[in-house]
Amino acid sequence: MMDTFNKDKRVKKFYPDYLSEIIFTMLIAFELLIIFVLLYPPVVGRQIDLTKPFQPIPEWYFLWLFKLVGYFHGSFAFIGTVIIPLIFVLLLLFIPFIDHGRYGRIKAIIAGMIILIGFIGLTIFSIL
Amino acid sequence: MGKVFDWLDRQFHLISPHKRFFQRSVPPDLNYTYCFGGIAFTYFLILVFSGLLLSIYYVPSENDAYKSVMIITNEVPLGWVIRGMHKWSASFFIIFIIIHAIRVFVSKAYRPPRELNWIVGSLTLITAMASGFTGYLLPWDQKAYWATEVGTSMVGTIPFIGKYLMYAIRGGAEVNAATLIRFYSMHVLYLPLITGILLWFHFHMIKRQGISAKL
Amino acid sequence: MDRRDFLKRFIKAFFFALSLSIISIISYIYPTKIKQKKTFYIYLTEEENLPKIGIRRFEYIFKNEEKTINSFVFLKKDDKGLAVFSPFCTHLGCLVKWNNIQKEFICACHGGRFDVEGKVIAGPPPMPLERLPFDIKDGKVYIGIKLYG
Repeated sequence: MMDTFNKDKRVKKFYPDYLSEIIFTMLIAFELLIIFVLLYPPVVGRQIDLTKPFQPIPEWYFLWLFKLVGYFHGSFAFIGTVIIPLIFVLLLLFIPFIDHGRYGRIKAIIAGMIILIGFIGLTIFSIL
Repeated sequence: MGKVFDWLDRQFHLISPHKRFFQRSVPPDLNYTYCFGGIAFTYFLILVFSGLLLSIYYVPSENDAYKSVMIITNEVPLGWVIRGMHKWSASFFIIFIIIHAIRVFVSKAYRPPRELNWIVGSLTLITAMASGFTGYLLPWDQKAYWATEVGTSMVGTIPFIGKYLMYAIRGGAEVNAATLIRFYSMHVLYLPLITGILLWFHFHMIKRQGISAKL
Repeated sequence: MDRRDFLKRFIKAFFFALSLSIISIISYIYPTKIKQKKTFYIYLTEEENLPKIGIRRFEYIFKNEEKTINSFVFLKKDDKGLAVFSPFCTHLGCLVKWNNIQKEFICACHGGRFDVEGKVIAGPPPMPLERLPFDIKDGKVYIGIKLYG
């Protein structure tokens, strides 16, 4: 596979062409981080107090789960807490095997969309 | 190369085994959408280094955890920068893993022979989120406590075995000092180790299989 | 013993050792201190502090050799008599608030709502609020809080 690229118009080598690009993007990534650190310094929350009701907000990447849990009532709670997240995880893991056969790509796109829209949609719902 | 590097090369033979790795060709039509994985890895490295620095001051005990986070944030010189870097690069790590996964999906790079690499990448996302969850408890403040209370109670909703699974995760019936130690150990030992192994696997397979050609 | 026999034995021995080590790791990880819930009666307040009618929140501090617990309960008094509610939402363990205008307990986490009797009226909680046992002796109110071990 790699030999086919050498026939291309110009050959790129990992060193130095690609490596210099990697280092460049790493520096950009680091600067982006530093900007956010300086703009939004970390804060320490209040001390644990079991006498005051407190509504915990999880990190943004768990907001979808936090929202999902609220939809399943009573003894069906485990569907929201375990079953649906498990389905998400399994869909994600098995995407290469879903993409199989005649309509493989379409099936894979549907699976990918379920995960992505589920994640983004529920996150937006929980913020609203 | 310089004299020092030449000397090191004579000792350890750095160049010859890595020659193929450094001089391999790269598809010429790569664009900058191919760098998201690299950016995510950059944030992983920052996470490891800032985490090592934080672990010097952090005390994982019921009585001192909150105090030590206070000290890191307010008293240690540049402590707030290190803590901010750790917190923000955790978010960026996950954002860029997701973007990287979308890019891989769009360019169909998960197809054979790279199925296993997709699975390893997805597992990295899961371990990253698990690290985020366990790390959230460590400041031992209101937010941390109640988020963990809710998060671990979710395991408890599984019929029949859920309760025992929840006790095993918490190390007791309630979120307490044992939970803090458990999560600390997960956060600083097990999960980084697992993530590191998965990433090594990930990069090794890229090295073997080459970068997937565009679309 | 040919190679096939050796492999068979080897695989059996491997799985035996594996299951043994998994069992021992689980027994290592699983916390030992979990026993049955026990009820501890603690002094809450004087009888004259009880609400004439309605719901009031009382904080308490429980101390023993192992731990100190600073928490609160809701006391309800009406024509049906006195009832003590635990403030922990039965859904995922957040603390509930009493809303005196809507006359219901509200859990902010996932919007669980309970009525004056502690029954679920909306939201995901699977069970009514836990009622704690209580005792009134010589004008002093004692409540039974449930703890492990």
